[in-house]
Amino acid sequence: MRFNKTLMQPAIIALSLAQAALLSGAWAAPVPAPLPAEHLSITQLPVASPHWIYVYDEAFNNETDSRLNLYDGDSHRLLGQIDSGYYPGFTPSPDGHTMAVATTYWARGGHGPHTDVIEFTDTSSLAITGEVVLAPTRAQGPPTSYNIAYSKDQRFIYSTNLTPAASMSVIDVEKKQVVADFDTDGCVLAIASLERRVSSICENGRLLSVTTDDTGHEVARSFSDPFFDVDHDPVFIQAAPSQQGALFLSFLGVVHPVDLSGMQPRFSAPWSLVDAKPVHHWRPGGTQMLALHKTLGTLYVSMHQGGEGTHKMGGSQIWVFDTNTHRRVARWPIDPAKYGAALAVQVSQDLQPLLFVTTDTSTLLILDGKTGHLLHAEAKMGQTPWYLINP
Amino acid sequence: MQQRIDRLLERASRRVAQRTSRRGFLGLFGAALTGATLLPLLPVSRGGQALAEPTSPKVPASPTASDDPVSCDYWKYCAIDGFLCACCGGSSSSCPPGTTPSPITWIGTCHNPGDGRDYIVSYNDCCGKTSCGACSCNRNEGEKPMYRLSLNNDANWCMANDNPNYHCSVSVLLGVAGQ
Repeated sequence: MRFNKTLMQPAIIALSLAQAALLSGAWAAPVPAPLPAEHLSITQLPVASPHWIYVYDEAFNNETDSRLNLYDGDSHRLLGQIDSGYYPGFTPSPDGHTMAVATTYWARGGHGPHTDVIEFTDTSSLAITGEVVLAPTRAQGPPTSYNIAYSKDQRFIYSTNLTPAASMSVIDVEKKQVVADFDTDGCVLAIASLERRVSSICENGRLLSVTTDDTGHEVARSFSDPFFDVDHDPVFIQAAPSQQGALFLSFLGVVHPVDLSGMQPRFSAPWSLVDAKPVHHWRPGGTQMLALHKTLGTLYVSMHQGGEGTHKMGGSQIWVFDTNTHRRVARWPIDPAKYGAALAVQVSQDLQPLLFVTTDTSTLLILDGKTGHLLHAEAKMGQTPWYLINP
Repeated sequence: MQQRIDRLLERASRRVAQRTSRRGFLGLFGAALTGATLLPLLPVSRGGQALAEPTSPKVPASPTASDDPVSCDYWKYCAIDGFLCACCGGSSSSCPPGTTPSPITWIGTCHNPGDGRDYIVSYNDCCGKTSCGACSCNRNEGEKPMYRLSLNNDANWCMANDNPNYHCSVSVLLGVAGQ
């Protein structure tokens, strides 16, 4: 077949015109309107949800830089951050409007003059609203729910000291100043109850309870009888708040319910998570090994298989118990090979609860609190997420 | 040997006494002295990192006990919890340059599988700089919660230093136990 050059020429010219038009953009799709100018702003937190969780990151490799990360368990988004310095104590206020953080800062990073301080953060904006400077005696230890505590009437904060002598400072929240200080006979932790009473655990297994007056000063103290065996089966200091007081858990898996609703502490009969003669040596362990849904009475415990000295080991299963019947209702595997071992557990307190679990690979797992179904796995949730706090 | 331990404890008590007059200290420190004779005591602590080989109290030392100062399995680290100073510019018995030893120390006993002897070990923390971050080691045989402070490795044992910033931990041999 031969081409007719005369016929081909108009077609070539048309193609050339089309190429030129494309290059010039004359035949392109309509150009959208330019993007509007943006205005720098500050994101406002939405209305708080019971499915929010504060993930405490110890920042173990650089401990002067710990923080509380606020995370939404439904949208799986990080919502914001509260700086928490070095070895902090923290607690939300009873009304939930404030997060109090007791911590230490250095003037020049990790050296220079250092200041112990309690900082108050508005939980609706995550802005710091005030502070109280403390004496340089603040207890610096592992995260618990009881390193500092609001009095139940929210008037005072009890803040633990350790030098290594143990004592308690009382902070007037309205006046923003330390108003009292009392010795605790070597007992540690601040567990608030009644209107203005604070309890601490002693090295002989007793509970010290100190009542303070309208000025924050001690007016009465009492010691309970020992309620656990310190030498043979001590309780973790990471107890879970309960309706009447707190649930303590021992290294070997014995639950010690403490009722602080009366004038004197009452101790219900201990009950065990494990068989009397354990075959496989299941034990609780981690950095926050138990969580309690206070109204449903459901207890979640991170469990591992191990012997003496493994009480900080993360769990391969979450065991679920009905605290009314003391019966185990479920065992949920965590798959340490995939997600790491479970170090900390916390459960939201609504009626469709989420179970939050952080692992030693810094993964945050979100499970359905009723079925154990894994809903989400958030990798790289900080450096060392060792404690979880409900808002 | 006893004189060395006495000097060590005296220094610790003097330093702490300068900072406190609370009555709780006497009972606390008494317990520490008593505990020091009973079982391996602990250095400063940091909780929660992955454990070294967990051991049973019936086993005198880790089955994988080694003589490597940068290994958490080193027999001399039988109850250490923190960053190994040997990985931070120091050694198993010396603090890194520019840091300060803690005046409060733990006296423990570790079994050396190499010669079959138990050794008295002083655990000290090195303080004054931000945590080293290298060679995290967490072994908790005999460890108790903070209300039994003399047996606890979770408290910050740089607490009595002018600068209480924890950096790393060392393990200093003081001699053979029982001699």
